Amino acid sequence: MKPIVTVRNLSKTYHIGQLRNSNPSLRDALVGAISSPLSFLRAHRHDNYTRLHALQDVSFDVEPGEVVGIIGRNGAGKSTLLKILARIVKPTSGEVDIYGRVGSLLQVGTGFHPDLTGRENIFLNGAILGMTSTEIRRKFDKIVAFSEVSRFLDTAVKYYSSGMYLRLAFAIAAHLEPEVLLLDEVLAVGDESFQEKCRAKIKSVSRDGRTVLFVSHDMRAIADLCGRVLLIREGRLYEGSDPQSMIAEYLNEVATAEAHQASLLTNTNESVASPSV
Amino acid sequence: MAISENASLRVSRQRESGGELSESPDQQVSLPAKPLIKIRASKRWTALDLREIWTHRELLYFLVLRDLKVRYKQTVLGVSWVVLQPVLMTLVFAVFLGKIARVPSGNVPYVLFLYSGLLPWTFFTNAVSSSSHSLIASAPMITKVYFPRSLVPLAAVLVRLSDFLAASVILFVLMVYYGRAFTSAMLLVPFLILHLTLLALSLGLLFAALNVKYRDIGTVLPVLLQLWLFTSPVIYSTTLVPESWKWVYELNPLSGIISGFRAALLNVGFDWRGLLISLSITLVLLVYATFVFKRMEDEFADIV
Repeated sequence: MKPIVTVRNLSKTYHIGQLRNSNPSLRDALVGAISSPLSFLRAHRHDNYTRLHALQDVSFDVEPGEVVGIIGRNGAGKSTLLKILARIVKPTSGEVDIYGRVGSLLQVGTGFHPDLTGRENIFLNGAILGMTSTEIRRKFDKIVAFSEVSRFLDTAVKYYSSGMYLRLAFAIAAHLEPEVLLLDEVLAVGDESFQEKCRAKIKSVSRDGRTVLFVSHDMRAIADLCGRVLLIREGRLYEGSDPQSMIAEYLNEVATAEAHQASLLTNTNESVASPSV
Repeated sequence: MAISENASLRVSRQRESGGELSESPDQQVSLPAKPLIKIRASKRWTALDLREIWTHRELLYFLVLRDLKVRYKQTVLGVSWVVLQPVLMTLVFAVFLGKIARVPSGNVPYVLFLYSGLLPWTFFTNAVSSSSHSLIASAPMITKVYFPRSLVPLAAVLVRLSDFLAASVILFVLMVYYGRAFTSAMLLVPFLILHLTLLALSLGLLFAALNVKYRDIGTVLPVLLQLWLFTSPVIYSTTLVPESWKWVYELNPLSGIISGFRAALLNVGFDWRGLLISLSITLVLLVYATFVFKRMEDEFADIV
């Protein structure tokens, strides 16, 4: 079957110096431009920076209807991958082709305005996520029903409890109907029953033939939802034969890191404690 | 770091066909022959993608609507502020420059002269400063959702344009009060408004992009705009500018627009040369600003 997403040799490099000093002053730029006016012509301007390879040579295909889980430790590059697929950041090199519309939900409630009512925010947030106003009007009742906040629809969302706020935000996103849906750690929303509703929604999205790429640290949700799991470790992508082995591998990685951390802590404690003895 | 490399793992290059897909989709999806979205490393110079802006026009509408609604919810006087700002400025200048310094304004009453200059000026200065801050203010959105980034400063300019149109009512009232004739020269006004909007948009795009990287812009801008007010024919007439300095004065694109605006409304002689110079500078600035914006756009989410 023809893949709906093809990712080829994708890399993203950040320059640490640039990250640390992310707001260089105009003066620095002017001084730089005056002292070495031709510097911008040189090919490798960032030689003096330390490089951080957030993603290195990542390639994979996704077929229509797949639910793909992306797992890895903090800072491994999961979110960077999702941000590139969502066109929020540009890759340093590599190519991605997507044969369909993409909807991304990297954070619940992006663009919500606290002073606007629930109703107004549904339209605003829907438009931000890429829905047309006709589409939002058509799904409005379903969104409201899903969110369980119908009583407070005409109240400014700044008066909402955090649970209500998140439920409304997720309800809007859940009614996005792109061919490819990107989700970043958004299932940890609301209480147990709401989470169950969200999982059911994702399953129905994939049954409709739509594709979901989904980042999470919740291995239970990953095991429950994903037919395929990709593991990212220090910017590189690994894939095994089945989701279970990938999850086991990830848990093993986390355990090793924790053990390493714990041993570091004990060592420090001992060295601090020893002089007083 | 000692992480065991499981034998079952491999660096995934390409998925072998006939993978162990546990859940096969019930429906077959027909895919387009060509990818809808192509993601590549950033190119150095590209033009602004107008079609992309057009597909996101509804988002633009909702962004403008949001700013207008929020303003009326957060302020007691709401829409009145839009009118009060140029009106209060007119009063201040009318007293200090009209009554005390006695700045000449030809055969036009000074209050009407002032308002017809301060109205476009207020639009310009508010549009430039709010669009310049717009990208930074939208950082949470920019780092979480894709949309053409140029919509943000564009929305800021459009909000100010609607303010301008609301405050124009007072101009109409003043013209009736002072018994000014309505002439065919007024047909030029919409074009001058478009011209002014494009100038404000050019600077808004340019400063918004630069402000993401160099926050100094936010500090410098109020000073620059203050200076700009006094180097434009807003509170005084171009007749006060010495003939030998006129060519320098005309390099300020705002001077042609504001004189033109006043000439079209109050039927005082048009300075076509000044207007043409202003139009050329505006168009060059617009092209330059859109290229700079596109050039920096790819970086916004990384550094904002």
